Amino acid sequence: MILPVLLYFAVFSFYPLILGFIQSFQESRLIGQAEFAGLSNYQAVLQDATFRQSVQNSLIIGFGGLVLTLSLAVLLVLGLTEIRLKCFKQSLQTLTFLPFLFSWTVIGSLWIYMLSANGLLNDLIKLAGARPLVILSNMKAAQPVFILSAAWKNAGYNVVILMAVVSGIDPGLYEAALMDGASRARQIQHITLPALRPTLLMLVLLGVTGILRNFDQAYVMQNAAILPRIRTVLLYIFTVGISQFKIGLATAAATVVLLITLGLTLLTSLLISRIKKSWL
Amino acid sequence: MKHPSSARRLNQLSLPLQIINHLFLGLMFLSMLIPFLYVFAVAFSTRQGSMAAGVKLWPDHFSLDGFRTVWERADLGTAFVNSLSVSAIGVLLELFLSLMAAYVLVIEQLPLRRWLAGLILVTLTIPGDLTLISVYVLNKQLSLLNSYPGLILNGLVSGFAIMLLKNYFEGVPGALAEAARIDSATEFQIFRLIYLPLSLPGIAAISFLEFISKWNALMLPATIISDAKYYTLPLVLKQLTLSSESTSGIDYIAPNARMAAIVISVIPLILLYVLAQNFLIEGLTLGATKG
Repeated sequence: MILPVLLYFAVFSFYPLILGFIQSFQESRLIGQAEFAGLSNYQAVLQDATFRQSVQNSLIIGFGGLVLTLSLAVLLVLGLTEIRLKCFKQSLQTLTFLPFLFSWTVIGSLWIYMLSANGLLNDLIKLAGARPLVILSNMKAAQPVFILSAAWKNAGYNVVILMAVVSGIDPGLYEAALMDGASRARQIQHITLPALRPTLLMLVLLGVTGILRNFDQAYVMQNAAILPRIRTVLLYIFTVGISQFKIGLATAAATVVLLITLGLTLLTSLLISRIKKSWL
Repeated sequence: MKHPSSARRLNQLSLPLQIINHLFLGLMFLSMLIPFLYVFAVAFSTRQGSMAAGVKLWPDHFSLDGFRTVWERADLGTAFVNSLSVSAIGVLLELFLSLMAAYVLVIEQLPLRRWLAGLILVTLTIPGDLTLISVYVLNKQLSLLNSYPGLILNGLVSGFAIMLLKNYFEGVPGALAEAARIDSATEFQIFRLIYLPLSLPGIAAISFLEFISKWNALMLPATIISDAKYYTLPLVLKQLTLSSESTSGIDYIAPNARMAAIVISVIPLILLYVLAQNFLIEGLTLGATKG
């Protein structure tokens, strides 16, 4: 009964992984047998300035987005727990969670339109009598726009996860602290935040494994003017492999990215276990 | 008895902090609400209204023009049906396969059980998106490019969902199954009469989450589909965003139509959220803590 699933994974997970690895050592040809090419694809990829820049872009957008998303989520959770008005609390939580359910095609087209020449932001600026801003084709604004829109989309998911932790905290702790004369701010600092830490670290680790896997956002929100700043590694692999059909190059890039991801994940989990030890 | 001075002993933030907190949350509230409001306002505006200057947070004249345009000219109807059928069939097929697999993983007498679970866990660590190019080649070899089976099969089963289901099954008391076995029930009966009903909330949560991820899928469809006949909603939306960049040409699609396309693609998700938010949130929290 488990066989269909195993067969599925063999064909759609393991086979492509191995195939990709083999192809990364081959010269890609449209017709005829592929030829063994040694490390030449890897050499070409590592020397490709576009690839190196795409790694840099992915790291900046990825880390920036992760830090902003998590900070926003923590602030929202701390803020929301202090709100007694139930309907406000509920509706804000729902509003922040909804964009997480929507695809990047939705969020991307929404933000592209909002920030465009005739979008809401520039309508407001014009209303104030200032000159409209060029945002979408502005190289300097590209990465901040990506980071902000990612945080806008993803904060809500982290709020849900962290809220579950907060609601699991023993209320007796707060009562005891109150008896001892601790202010609410000190209670947050010494009870709520420490309770959130393990989950927060897990979310960091989860986020780090995803940093180099940004495709949807870049694919939807790209335009020629800002491509050098927002071309992520997956967009690079997609363009080189699917559009230009340089399979050897693309699979070599994928293998390099896989190795970087492994390295990053390992480094982060080491750091996290260090941090956890320091609590003891 | 409430004494005026006892108000101070209420467990609350100090007043300045409370003001800052309310300002922050109010700002967040607006920053989340206004974009959505804007989308709806433009989507229900007329073509002229959506292109006119000025801040639009309410439709000029309530109009369904945008919906009509995008449904007819961008062929959103086909894409909607494609998305819906591919996601629905995909979820059913995935559930069928995953339920069997997860059940096998909790049957204790099974040899190699741990080894099999390990194998499925390993698939979680293979980043599917990084094998994109070989996935394309694979689909070509299986002639799944530009086909419905291709849309359904790629990314059909997720190791994550199987492990979550296994988790729910493990919550079913083993004594129940033992008792049934003694009464010479078949494994299938045990599965159908004990495990299935007892893990129904979990199964619902997973189906909703998987439906959402299939509905939103962009990368795999973009890789294997080039024929517009098989476009799913995300592919059409992407196409519409592209066409908005080139302002010249007769094919210009007005903002009201583009926003209407967004409304159409989020309505099923909003409905799902309204109907099943508790399942969704439970599935997500369990997924994050156990995954």
